[in-house]
Amino acid sequence: MTPDSLGDGASDFPALLRRQGLIAPISSIGGMGPMGDLASSFTPAQATTILAFKFTGGVLVAGDRRATAGNTVVYDRADKVLEIDRHSIMAIAGVPATAWEMARVLEHSLQYFRRTQLQEMSVDGKVRALSKLLRDNFGFVMQGVGVVVPIFATYDFAGKGQARLYFYDAMGAQFEVTEYAATGSGSPAVRGVLFYENRWGKKPLHKLREEDAITVALRALDTAAEADTATGGVDRNAKIFPLIKIISREGIKTLPEKQIATRFKNTVA
Amino acid sequence: MIEEPYRWVEAIANRREYIETQLAPGSPIAALSYRDGILFVTVGRARQKLFEIYDRIALGAIGHPGDIERLRMAAIELASTEGFTRSAADVSLRRLAFYSLSPLLKTAFEQVYGAPYLARMIFAEVGATPEDDLFLRVEYDGAIVANGPAADSNPPRFSAIAGTPGAAALMEDLLRRDHDPACTLNRAMKLALDAWSVGSMPATEEGESGIPSAETLRQRRVEELKSATVEAGVLERSGPGGIRYRALTGDELKELAAA
Repeated sequence: MTPDSLGDGASDFPALLRRQGLIAPISSIGGMGPMGDLASSFTPAQATTILAFKFTGGVLVAGDRRATAGNTVVYDRADKVLEIDRHSIMAIAGVPATAWEMARVLEHSLQYFRRTQLQEMSVDGKVRALSKLLRDNFGFVMQGVGVVVPIFATYDFAGKGQARLYFYDAMGAQFEVTEYAATGSGSPAVRGVLFYENRWGKKPLHKLREEDAITVALRALDTAAEADTATGGVDRNAKIFPLIKIISREGIKTLPEKQIATRFKNTVA
Repeated sequence: MIEEPYRWVEAIANRREYIETQLAPGSPIAALSYRDGILFVTVGRARQKLFEIYDRIALGAIGHPGDIERLRMAAIELASTEGFTRSAADVSLRRLAFYSLSPLLKTAFEQVYGAPYLARMIFAEVGATPEDDLFLRVEYDGAIVANGPAADSNPPRFSAIAGTPGAAALMEDLLRRDHDPACTLNRAMKLALDAWSVGSMPATEEGESGIPSAETLRQRRVEELKSATVEAGVLERSGPGGIRYRALTGDELKELAAA
């Protein structure tokens, strides 16, 4: 047994998985999909509407809980806000099968890098790693079966330290934003709400305290759900609330459902 | 190839002697359970000797840096692919050592025209309680000594490696006498440093008096630490997320090691 890790790209975990056949090879762009002609009649599940913005306590990342396939609701408790390491979150809109696999590869890649190279990967390195996963997946996007449009948020300890926020397109281009980001089918409405709050609200987003930030996030998702059937928003009957996580210098905090429910009752419902 | 069996045995014996000579100056490493996890301690001059392998597995190694690096990479690679395809809970130190590393080391050691691995390693995997902690010593020839569940009904919750078998035996004598798996981190650190001091005594003193007095050990250590530093890491029993390894650094290490 010769360890693969001694070959080229010793710190590249996806390449290692690919050599061992543990993940799909890089898809070629265009051409017939893996499903052949079936691709046109196959509707993959989609997960929708995630948002993130910076506020006084760091960066807040929220996602609704609905996964759909065409106009069928597949699942109403999907987790689209995924912790990648102690200070990074990847939130996903798109095909869950691909997105969850991508998050898993990214999570393991960062740990693999840290353990083998004996240092933390830089923020730029992490952002780039996700970009590469998206680009490697682009062939499947073209075949209509694997589109993923994530948001990546992390805390950068370089210099004085600050929260960093990025969104991606399906080809893997990354865009760093200073205030807020939203992707998924409900994102036009969410962007409208966030733009409005940021410009004409009582305070711009980056000056909000945690409780007010939660209110804005819940209102934005509820607004998106009003017109977009693929966005779950808040299920008032089943008491299903969006998932909200906050990244700060101290790490990642998942807001307890109770806190979200109370905030929802007092300021949104 | 060597065709006479006798010549092969002789070649292996020579190679064993050569490797033992190479490993002899290695600085000892002690690993022991304490109430909240497993502590690894060594004293070094230049390079890092304690490493994180996976969420609940850590490694301490002495030997040639190139060989240690190759084995460390192989271990991380095997654990990471297993953790990725199945789950972190399916990554098992026992399997990693017995089914992957041991055959690799044995093959390299016995192929007399190739280079053997110049490395002696100590692995530990932290469990939910000290009873579940597993310690494995892996030798350059693939031999494994296990301290942990299934090895013994009440196995010791510690392990040690040193440059020579004699030094390692002395360390184990001391640990067997003084170790309590329910102790605090502070107490575990003191004991681990004592064990290191015993294991690093010059060969001439070995066997003459067994374990020296606590005061002698402390004096020796003060002397040694003038030109070297303590390296330590812990595998914590519980914590947020799955990653349990943490290198002890800065003020925390200074305070623990000073006492």
